[in-house]
Amino acid sequence: MAKTEIRVGGLGGQGVILSAHIIGKAASIYDDKYATLIQAFGPEARGSACSAQVTVSDETIGYPYVKNPDILVVMSPDAYAQFVPTLKPGGVLLYEQDLITVDDRLPAGARAYGVPATRLAEELGRRLVLNIVMVGFFAGVTELVPFEAIANAVKSSVPKGTEDLNLRALKRGYDYGRDQVARATA
Amino acid sequence: MSLDGYPVVIPLRDGRTVTVRPMTAADGERLLRFFRALPEEDRQFLKEDVTQKEVVERFVAELDYERVFPLLAEYQGEIVGDATLHRTKHGWSTHVAAIRMVVARQFQRSGLATALARLLVQHAVNVGVDKMIAEIVDNQVGARRAFAKLGFVEEAVLKGHVKDRSGVRRDLVIMANDVSHLWEAMEAMVADFSPTVGA
Repeated sequence: MAKTEIRVGGLGGQGVILSAHIIGKAASIYDDKYATLIQAFGPEARGSACSAQVTVSDETIGYPYVKNPDILVVMSPDAYAQFVPTLKPGGVLLYEQDLITVDDRLPAGARAYGVPATRLAEELGRRLVLNIVMVGFFAGVTELVPFEAIANAVKSSVPKGTEDLNLRALKRGYDYGRDQVARATA
Repeated sequence: MSLDGYPVVIPLRDGRTVTVRPMTAADGERLLRFFRALPEEDRQFLKEDVTQKEVVERFVAELDYERVFPLLAEYQGEIVGDATLHRTKHGWSTHVAAIRMVVARQFQRSGLATALARLLVQHAVNVGVDKMIAEIVDNQVGARRAFAKLGFVEEAVLKGHVKDRSGVRRDLVIMANDVSHLWEAMEAMVADFSPTVGA
């Protein structure tokens, strides 16, 4: 049974929960897998710590909580500091490289891939889509779900009229991720 | 700036199809031919004398898609429509863009102007514009209807602001489309406090 545990962490207002929701939706609705989502917020959402746990599996999931993720996606230094020690040895860290510096807290054998998600989102015209860039980066690096599935999940999740830019943000992140993987394996 | 999706082939109501793409530096001569072929009454409301070669040469020489995003419609190798989205990079209205458009007579009332305006609206949303405006003379009923279909509403009327060829003063209608609400919905969605976010 292939089961992948994911944690997404960042600040309230970065779209942490939406990112996790889209990953789970892509897997469960558009890729014939099972997924669960657990979300946690700080006392006040905007600007405070926020995280979500997603489990994706080929079979039904009996326990949805994630203690030691296979994949950790972090968008803020606090989330990195809090969650990187919990990443499984040999796991994958995906991080906002303009905000986070990877240090020796990264578990042994873990692979780290950075993306300037905020900057790429700003280049696209809206800082707001940084979380979608991050989702694209997630899909590009991990290939846990096909691009089509994640694109369908984005399309069906974001407000009408914003699909085009969100899909471009997704593609930008995806391409950046594929490129990072190619460089790492070259 | 991403130009994904171009060129776009647009089927018109009369069965013809046109190809729409961003202007390039190689378009000078054909663009001048297009502008010179326009009837004078269609040119009189343009901001510059586009029959002057140096004016058109400046358009193509100073292409900066982040300041002016120009779309050209082509039919059988000739330009039949020019639509532009104008933005300012500085000042208090960087969130606003203006749409300007001119279409060859034989392509008016074919749906081309609406299609061009729709592409510019999509582009504007994509590049982060919050509000679009279009200036239309009061008797350009078709243009007002086309912009209304795209969500524009009449926001201001400048009385007697333009003079037509016969010297008659006409009102200039400012139509506006505020698309910031689209992104307010997205902002609410990424606020990370709703357990049903994205549902």
